[in-house]
Amino acid sequence: MSVLEIDDIQGIVLFAYGRLRSACYLLLRITRPAAARSWLASLDVRSARFDPAQTDRAINIAFTAAGLSQLGLSDTLAGEFAGEFLQGMAGTLHRQRILGDVGESSPERWSWGGPKNPEPHVLLMLFGRDDVVLADVVRQQQAAFAAAGLEMITRLDTTWLPKQREHFGFRDGVSRTDIEGFHTDARPENAVAAGEFVLGYVNAYGQYTQRPLPGPEQDPGELLSPAPEDPGRRDLGMNGSYLVFRQLRQDVGAFWRFIDGRTRGKDGDARTRLAAKMVGRWPSGTPLVKSPDRDDPALCDDNDFFYHRAGDAQGLKCPIGAHIRRANPRDALEPEPGSDRSIEVGKRHRVLRRGRTYGAPVAESMEIPDILAAADSGGERGLHFICFNTHIGRQFEFIQNTWLNNPKFDGLYEDDDPLVGDRGGPHAKPGGTFTVQAEPVRTRVTGMPRFTQVRGGGYFFMPGIRAVRFLGSLR
Amino acid sequence: MPHQEALTVVAPIRPGEVDGVKRLLGAIPDHVDGWNVIPFERLSGVHFARLVVFDETTDLKGDPIPAQLALMTNVDAPLDAHLDELTRATGEALDRVFGACAGYPDEGQRTPWVRRRFLQRYRREASAFYVNRQGRSVEQIRQEEALRRAIGEFLDSTDFSRQSPEQVRKAIKDFVGGRADLKWALEPAAPPDLRWRVRQMLHKIWHLIIVVVLSPVALLAGPWLLVLLRRRELRDIPDTSQAPADSVNRLRNDEDFWVHNQVIAAGCFKPGLVRQMVTTVILRTTDFAVRHIYNRGSLSGLNTIHFARWVAMDDGRRMFFSSNYDGSLESYMNDFIDKAAWGLNAIFSNGDGFPRTKLLFCGGIRDEKAYKRFLPTRQVQSRVWYSAYPHLTTKNVANNAAIREGLSGELGAEDTRQWLMRFGVGNQLPQSGLIARILDRIPWDRICPYLK
Repeated sequence: MSVLEIDDIQGIVLFAYGRLRSACYLLLRITRPAAARSWLASLDVRSARFDPAQTDRAINIAFTAAGLSQLGLSDTLAGEFAGEFLQGMAGTLHRQRILGDVGESSPERWSWGGPKNPEPHVLLMLFGRDDVVLADVVRQQQAAFAAAGLEMITRLDTTWLPKQREHFGFRDGVSRTDIEGFHTDARPENAVAAGEFVLGYVNAYGQYTQRPLPGPEQDPGELLSPAPEDPGRRDLGMNGSYLVFRQLRQDVGAFWRFIDGRTRGKDGDARTRLAAKMVGRWPSGTPLVKSPDRDDPALCDDNDFFYHRAGDAQGLKCPIGAHIRRANPRDALEPEPGSDRSIEVGKRHRVLRRGRTYGAPVAESMEIPDILAAADSGGERGLHFICFNTHIGRQFEFIQNTWLNNPKFDGLYEDDDPLVGDRGGPHAKPGGTFTVQAEPVRTRVTGMPRFTQVRGGGYFFMPGIRAVRFLGSLR
Repeated sequence: MPHQEALTVVAPIRPGEVDGVKRLLGAIPDHVDGWNVIPFERLSGVHFARLVVFDETTDLKGDPIPAQLALMTNVDAPLDAHLDELTRATGEALDRVFGACAGYPDEGQRTPWVRRRFLQRYRREASAFYVNRQGRSVEQIRQEEALRRAIGEFLDSTDFSRQSPEQVRKAIKDFVGGRADLKWALEPAAPPDLRWRVRQMLHKIWHLIIVVVLSPVALLAGPWLLVLLRRRELRDIPDTSQAPADSVNRLRNDEDFWVHNQVIAAGCFKPGLVRQMVTTVILRTTDFAVRHIYNRGSLSGLNTIHFARWVAMDDGRRMFFSSNYDGSLESYMNDFIDKAAWGLNAIFSNGDGFPRTKLLFCGGIRDEKAYKRFLPTRQVQSRVWYSAYPHLTTKNVANNAAIREGLSGELGAEDTRQWLMRFGVGNQLPQSGLIARILDRIPWDRICPYLK
């Protein structure tokens, strides 16, 4: 296990920047590559090293495959990046099927990143301690665009919701994926090889993930570090990561209206109970597997649990199809559920989540009764889902396809993810099913519409800082 | 209940006619709603069917192998009836499909009998044929799914939360008994045909006798063979080439229309007598294992495969592997690596270019990067593909069967409770046999690092 080079890794890969509460993401096109390269060579990119002089702002940057090519990266080198990245999120019909980007969520209807939108080259992520600082950062950056040969396509703003909640009203981001050799306090069951998230390190299979390794002649300025497994070559991927970006619109009204309709005639708490069953946590964040019958705010930050080991193989506490059980099944899947092997296999399908919410909340208090009362207020809101991984097919896409969208997850029949599922794509009957395993026999709700729609998305490469300089030096 | 058979017909395509055959077959995305040339859904007892074109190529010596057309079906016994139906009911469609093959009867002579002789001539027996669960017919699978759906709606209609498990089970049984179209489910499913079971038993005994008789030879020769094998493993050159991006994309675009997917890969056997011996032993062992050890829904820890077959072709120079499975190819490949690497290594490492193995079982597939790069270089496109129940996983099928089974006979309190759980989730799988469980628990992760 080698120590992460935090000076060279961009900060957002390893940190969520919880103190920088204001953020926006700019999608840019490169119109004049030479000018863009010199801008890049001197851009103040924030590393993962804590810098006391710079606690109020941060800039991070990532590129699409088209962006790298526009900067002048040769096709041969670019071809060594992951196939998923080269094709792009909206690149093939097959990818649209497995990601569930169909119907209203199909790329043709996206507001950015789709075939009908201008192709982004650069994702510039700007963070500030508050809105005033962020406005300052944005102003400075935008002032440089003209001279840097950059054109802004889209600006994506974010909102910091109270109590760490997401728009449906549930505490989010409780589960943290720990990185071996970085999170020194990690429990072994939750510590994942660094190479799963940062290129140039050993991954969960004990290998170095494929990435471009230029020869020394392609890096005359010696800007890149040597490849650890092949020191004769330079490493363009070193300390970089793939950034997956999906703008997910959440239909808060539809979600709570549906819950309300299916719990009519029951006591008032029935709504929260059903919604919590769908999420797998209570609104406070408390996991159902630890407190199945009522919310217990004392456990709101609890992430120290399993399913089979907690005696919940059959989903009586936390339903099999609950969102958090699908997104991270922990010890629930084969081989031998509950075993160390099961946990090890699960670690090959993890990501680092770094997204932020956007749009005004329906109720400032973020409490369920208030959200219910105001659920149908207008406006668009949702999640800018952002995650990092090094093998998009085995990590992000696998989670999306084999776990979240899969109606057959862990022995189910027609249940996809209640919160983010695609409801089966074009070949399925309309409306999803959510089963609540119970004794003596299960209950279920059917005819469930899709609550989140994809509004835009893309696969980006976030280089290490030396690699950013290298890209700035291309000619 | 009938057992299942695998029909494989591989016939050479006349020179110059390959493009026409490919045009006729099209590709999977062209006929997602059914292929109208041979309507497989109208043939009886077909679980899966596919048509594949193997392109013209050369073997390891550079000798030519002509382009070939393959028809594969998984079908309920008797195979005879299947051949009969193919050559009669869909005879003219068969003419269109195989008309471009060398040796196909000329127009005017195409009678069912002549067509059948053609199929028999190019039929290949599988070296090994895996069935998720022997003796479960298409009809049974479909009926039991209809049963589960009907009970599901019945359960939705009433609040059972205050009833005891016994009361709920009784209500379900009464519901089923009251429905003329479901009444059959109160009787347990019939086991496979007695003659077939006797044949399987004799097969098992006969092969165990062979093992006992040959064991002294194996004990003496085994270590030598391993040394020789290891030398060859170190000398073999893994194929590190990458399949062209457009062919990988074409393969991907055939996938994930349904819960089921298909894969087929073909390659040359590694040359030499030692490899030939190892290959023969391994394929025989595989044949034995899939009949008698891995016959309860799991193939060395993989429980997503409905059917799989290994078939030698081109006078034993090449072999193809084809399977029908649940989920995406990405998850299938990960399952290979994570759950079944040792067994699959033992088989596939006899193929040319395979990632380097260590003493047959270690390495190989465990090299994720090499394996995921290698597979597309050997993959062949399935042009036409049919599944009789594309919305049911192996787990669904097994759970449905268990639901039906629980409708008859006496159940104790705990069994009744567990049976009712099956309406909520079907993740309780039948336990593998003892030998399978022992094999699945070999700690390869700890053994393999010792092999340098």
